[in-house]
Amino acid sequence: MGEVELSCRAYVKMYLHACLFPRCSVNGLLLSSSSSAGGAVCVTDCVPLLHSHLSLAPITQLALTQVDVWCSQTQQRIVGYYQANACTSDSSPTPCALKIADKIAEQFDGAVLLMLDGSKMSPDYRVPPIVMYERKDSRWTLKDKHTIMLRQWEEIRDVASQMLDSGDHSLLVDFDSHLDDITRDWTNQKLNSKIAELCSPVNGNI
Amino acid sequence: MASVSELYDVGWEEMRDKLRKWREDNSRNSEQIVDVGEELISDHASKLGDDVWIIYEQVMIAALDCSRDDLALTCLQELRKQFPDSHRVKRLTGMRLEALERYDEANKHYDAILEDDPTNTAARKRKISILKAQGKNGEAIRELNEYLEQFVGDQEAWHELSELYINEHDYGKAAFCLEELMMTNPHNHLYCEQYAEVKYTQGGLENLELSRKYFSQALRLNNRNMRALFGLYMSASHIAASPKVSAKVKKDNIKYAAWAANQINRAYKVKFMKSLVKLLELLSCFFFCFWQLCKTS
Repeated sequence: MGEVELSCRAYVKMYLHACLFPRCSVNGLLLSSSSSAGGAVCVTDCVPLLHSHLSLAPITQLALTQVDVWCSQTQQRIVGYYQANACTSDSSPTPCALKIADKIAEQFDGAVLLMLDGSKMSPDYRVPPIVMYERKDSRWTLKDKHTIMLRQWEEIRDVASQMLDSGDHSLLVDFDSHLDDITRDWTNQKLNSKIAELCSPVNGNI
Repeated sequence: MASVSELYDVGWEEMRDKLRKWREDNSRNSEQIVDVGEELISDHASKLGDDVWIIYEQVMIAALDCSRDDLALTCLQELRKQFPDSHRVKRLTGMRLEALERYDEANKHYDAILEDDPTNTAARKRKISILKAQGKNGEAIRELNEYLEQFVGDQEAWHELSELYINEHDYGKAAFCLEELMMTNPHNHLYCEQYAEVKYTQGGLENLELSRKYFSQALRLNNRNMRALFGLYMSASHIAASPKVSAKVKKDNIKYAAWAANQINRAYKVKFMKSLVKLLELLSCFFFCFWQLCKTS
């Protein structure tokens, strides 16, 4: 399977989502705005979805539909799924994670399943706290670490920490929060701009 | 760094009242409680009178939530000095050990409380929380079931059990817990809506119809519950699209779904006067679903 690259924006939003709800399991979708070139997938954005009742169907279905529609209008596609478990000692994919990832894989061949490892998210962590899975022979298997790219990891990590320290994670809106108050924007345009400001010296492409 | 009182221009009485409100609402805004409480305790403890003890407890628990063991220990030590033999304080000692992941020691504290007082519900619930923190969901469920046999009226416990069952994908048992909660809290729209979500997840025509009814009930109790509104739309649409229903049922459910879609559009229009894109998005989404509906009917 091909390479997967995580952009600054995607990583930071995932990280902030997990930090915003430290006592809950959270999940979300990984998006790509570029068509895959030579089997390589670039995850350019993510949409944080839920922080409660991840394994209940209605809101998940609703969110998937809405994100799908938004993607088709903004030339993006859903290329993966991420989840961070509430219990930091266990970062293995839950049955509902596998189910949703399967659904995504039906529509996109190179889909990835990303688990955030809570136990490795301390401020000075040296490696990205992520575990990625890809689909091989109808099963989700661990992806070779060398095919996962995070350009300028230290800078991205610092951007994430900086935003956490300054309380910017409270700006993040996931789909759950949107349903509590529909004036809140689950596409997180404001947060994206903030990340872009901090990331632009770091990454050529956001 | 500016103090809370400087930043927000509040006096100590307002800070004390804010803490009381958060206690009454049972809010878990631990970072705020730590900010306000720490300043109140260090600068104005003498003015608080007897309130100071409950504030120490509140701030201590919030401090544990924010990994501020220094602050938690300070509060705990004050409480220990004042109430040396209290079970309530012993429980707080146990909670601090839990926060430090010293679960065996914490369990010893709780067992000691229970030996002294077997009816101490707080200690029993802490033991169950430890199982949950260790990822032992199966055992936590077992213990919680035993607990509820004795303390059948404990709402918090029933809700916790429903959450545990949902995490274990045991939707039937989760529904049972939510039924208990709905019986004792018939006006709580959140329980209705959660029950409806569980039924929807279980799937099958009967469950979908139940789910639609309970989404409607949730809306009747709170017409601004967006989850219930979307849930009503989705459950009614699915029922209408099912090949097993009669023409009348199909017609009725298309009506319900249309009503829900209309309400949703109105809600979004009101909030997004200028955001035509979002509205179009939603309309196209519903159009697509209806189109699917019409295709199969």
